[in-house]
Amino acid sequence: METILELQNGIGQHRLVFTPSVIEISDDAILAHAAREGDRVAFGRLYERYSRMIHGILLARIPRPDVDDLTHDVFLTALRQIHTLRKSSAFGGWLAMIARNRATDYHRSTPEVTELTEDFPGEDSPQAEAILILEKIRSLPEAYRETLILRLVEGMTGPEIAERTGLTAASVRVNLHRGMKQLREKLERRNVHE
Amino acid sequence: MSDDYLWDRKGEPDPEVQRLERLLSQLRSDPPMPEMQTIGSVSYRTRFWSLWRPLVAIAAMVVLVAGVWEVFQRFKPGWDVASLQGSPRIGSSRMGEEGRLTVGQWLETDATSRAILSIGKIGQVEIEPNTRVRLMKARATEHRIALARGTMHATIWAPPRLFFVDTPSATAVDLGCAYTLTVDDTGSGLLHVTHGWVAFDFHGHESFAPEGALCATRPGVGPGTPYFEDSSASFQRALTQVDFEPRAAANYKMALDTVLSEARVRDALTLWHLIARVDARERGPVYERMAELVPSPPGVTRDGILRLDQDMLDLWWDRLGLGDTLWWRFWKGKWPEQGK
Repeated sequence: METILELQNGIGQHRLVFTPSVIEISDDAILAHAAREGDRVAFGRLYERYSRMIHGILLARIPRPDVDDLTHDVFLTALRQIHTLRKSSAFGGWLAMIARNRATDYHRSTPEVTELTEDFPGEDSPQAEAILILEKIRSLPEAYRETLILRLVEGMTGPEIAERTGLTAASVRVNLHRGMKQLREKLERRNVHE
Repeated sequence: MSDDYLWDRKGEPDPEVQRLERLLSQLRSDPPMPEMQTIGSVSYRTRFWSLWRPLVAIAAMVVLVAGVWEVFQRFKPGWDVASLQGSPRIGSSRMGEEGRLTVGQWLETDATSRAILSIGKIGQVEIEPNTRVRLMKARATEHRIALARGTMHATIWAPPRLFFVDTPSATAVDLGCAYTLTVDDTGSGLLHVTHGWVAFDFHGHESFAPEGALCATRPGVGPGTPYFEDSSASFQRALTQVDFEPRAAANYKMALDTVLSEARVRDALTLWHLIARVDARERGPVYERMAELVPSPPGVTRDGILRLDQDMLDLWWDRLGLGDTLWWRFWKGKWPEQGK
């Protein structure tokens, strides 16, 4: 869908066509403003739009069984602090920062434990393979693992990741490219050892 | 190969990236939106201080809206929880005396807390200390929780197959019953049926446990063979070996011999399950011992049982005095009589 705005610039009328991504960002500003005023529906729409991003950011940092609960925590924290958000258009980056901080707090307050999977899939099951690959991604540098998880687990494209997290498209692209290169190497090494 | 596909899924597909997308998408989650009872009071407080004067009418309205919101929350899919001891947690918040667990949320007790969950209108579950459960579904036709670790006691008064408990290695399917289910930190579990029947299932590998029976389960294996709690200790030890130790192990045959020699008439429950679980070459001895304990009825032959003919197995089951197979296999038959 495209939105057309008509502006007068003194010479003649110009039609500006906005792509969906631009509209989404401006929507965020409107929704964040409404949510800041206490509009639950607006907050619900922001939740739909950003829950995958938050889930991915947390999955890159904390044990899987706690990710859903902390995803809720992040949104509730954002809800409480939304009046401190000065620039509504920066909502995504602000939310991502809350998620990263929450993950850091989690590690401060929770003793390090070995993560046990909840469903104990058989060694050869696709889920066991997925968990193993997730561990490989988690062993990558932080910038790469977050971007790769958003791309490969949460199914977001590079441009979506850039829009949602507030990172530049160039840095997301670099993170994806270098992260994938390192992941391929790790997976190849594993295959050789097997 | 260019990274265009990795970037925006355009361009020539990268098979490795596609494989990873397929595999890793299993780890995606779609947690339901959190309850936001606090949003009204937060926004009200903000507006209150920014307006310089108290707006009594607005305050009254907020109280009214909060009340309506609270009533609305009561109708969201979820179950009521009451603390029996200490302060259990719902999600990341400690609950008071009462709370509500909505779909997707975790209920967790620590070493000093216990809770009781009302399962809609069909029963209740007591949650012991150091237990973690999650509400998965709260529909009229399916009530489902996941027990990640700890101990729970379920009492269900609804028709069969409405209440399910997922554990790391098996799913307990209520068939109208009361039972205790424990899962340890390794994901191993133990089911103890105190009334009625429970089916324990893992990818089609099923055990049916009646009142007074126990059934263990192990990650990667699924449910073991059910046995009665009053069977001998050596019978139970040997059965654990048969169920969960490698069949190539030297003591496997010895363990199976112990199970057969120690079995009483009542333990035909165990032997009936074992017939289909042991290797084909072991089926003969199991058949012989079971036939000594409970003679096979007309229409049931040795050959039929050895080739696992389901109709013959069901006919023999009906001779065990544990009710008709129809009612637990298809949930169509009448309920078993008490004390049978």
